[in-house]
Amino acid sequence: WLPALQLLRRGSKAVTRHWKAVPFPRQKLLALTEYLPPRPALPPRCLPRLAPRARQEDGYARVLRGQLEDTLRASRMVAVCHYNSMADEDVATLRHFLRRHDIHVKFVLNEVGLSLTGARGVPGVSPGFWGIPGVPGLSPGQQSLPTGLWNSVPIPSSRFAGACIDDTILSRQGVENFARLPSLEVSQGQTVAALSLLSSQTSSLLQRGPAHLTALLDEHIRRLRDTGGATEPPPGQSAGSR
Amino acid sequence: PAGPGGVAVPRAGLKKWRLPPDYSGITIPEKPKLRFIDKVPAVPKVQREPRRLRDIRGPSQVATDFTQGQYGILALGGGYLHWGHFEMIRLTIGRSIDPKSMFAVWRVPAPYKSVTRKSLGHRMGGGKGPIDRYVTAVKSGRLVVEVGGRCEFGEVQPFLTRVAQKLPFPAVAVSRESLQEMRREEEQKRLDNQNPWTFERVVTSNMLGMRKYLSPYDLQLKGRYWGKFFLKHRV
Repeated sequence: WLPALQLLRRGSKAVTRHWKAVPFPRQKLLALTEYLPPRPALPPRCLPRLAPRARQEDGYARVLRGQLEDTLRASRMVAVCHYNSMADEDVATLRHFLRRHDIHVKFVLNEVGLSLTGARGVPGVSPGFWGIPGVPGLSPGQQSLPTGLWNSVPIPSSRFAGACIDDTILSRQGVENFARLPSLEVSQGQTVAALSLLSSQTSSLLQRGPAHLTALLDEHIRRLRDTGGATEPPPGQSAGSR
Repeated sequence: PAGPGGVAVPRAGLKKWRLPPDYSGITIPEKPKLRFIDKVPAVPKVQREPRRLRDIRGPSQVATDFTQGQYGILALGGGYLHWGHFEMIRLTIGRSIDPKSMFAVWRVPAPYKSVTRKSLGHRMGGGKGPIDRYVTAVKSGRLVVEVGGRCEFGEVQPFLTRVAQKLPFPAVAVSRESLQEMRREEEQKRLDNQNPWTFERVVTSNMLGMRKYLSPYDLQLKGRYWGKFFLKHRV
């Protein structure tokens, strides 16, 4: 039996190991019917970028942030430093040194700090309040900081960023000035002394003697007459001089 | 540095831990490795069969989707697999999977088609040659092997791609999701094609008498296949 069409005698079969040459009409048809991707009127790079999806916060990050908030709420004075990697024993020494002065050292991650203060950090303070990786926060106790402490703290590779004392944010100079202020007891004593100065002066004056008092009174009247004002010798003085 | 409670605080940032995948519904069969495939079927063929290369041509209708496993090797072209290929696949996958937690399954039958070859150096004529070997025909779009178990695609992909590169036709390692994604993209390409002229349209309506230059099989193949090759870039 011979096949009716002798076409198979020339060339190869339809399915070959090699890539059979594509006849030209078919090539033209394939070129015509190629895939054309959709072209929007405006290219997508000219359109405004979609707002980034709110990142799901990690549970651990939330816990750390809660801890940080508690620390900030509990302590009145907080100082923030930039931490670059230090030797472990230096870190331990520093912590011990500060602990003796009742200052707790806490290490805070950038992520956690930024989520607390917002992405741009706190304006007005040196740009590292929460912007530098691995920032430790020092939370001193309730008492004020001794003046000479900052000069003696051995932090070779850390930079002081800022401090928040009694809800006021201070820079390095601010903290130094704050440290130079007299302590609470001294200032309280000064205020009390200033307020009670007048009454103490009055009481010492009264205890002097009647002759001195009358002389003072005459002096006072003469001065008033000179200025032209009405003279009103205090009745209590004249009663006390008897 | 030690944070509160003495626990070390990470320096560079918090690591985001993702939940491990759920392997609850996966059972590993008794024989997790691929079974041995014979070179010759149990009943060898007496009569030599014609070449019938149409079992290589066109898309596959069988074994196109996953059954037991989650990952597999997808054939992107037609070809014949013989015993050497089967051994290579069996040994490579057997070496790479952990039989306690992973398993593999054949999706192609053992060689059934006899292929003849004339002895070297003789002229044409003198009848058909004797049977040389047995092969399995594989069409494009068919899964060759499937791998499953308590593993992820990242673990399985390296050795599956190595096996896929050694096959006589182009092949790629796929997972259920990646296969679905591939099909979805293909469908989307077909739908949002801006070209009003498609191969299918021209052939079915015989525009410009193009059927004179095309094969009658192009009605089904629609310009995506040429011989045993699968043209992935065509829509």
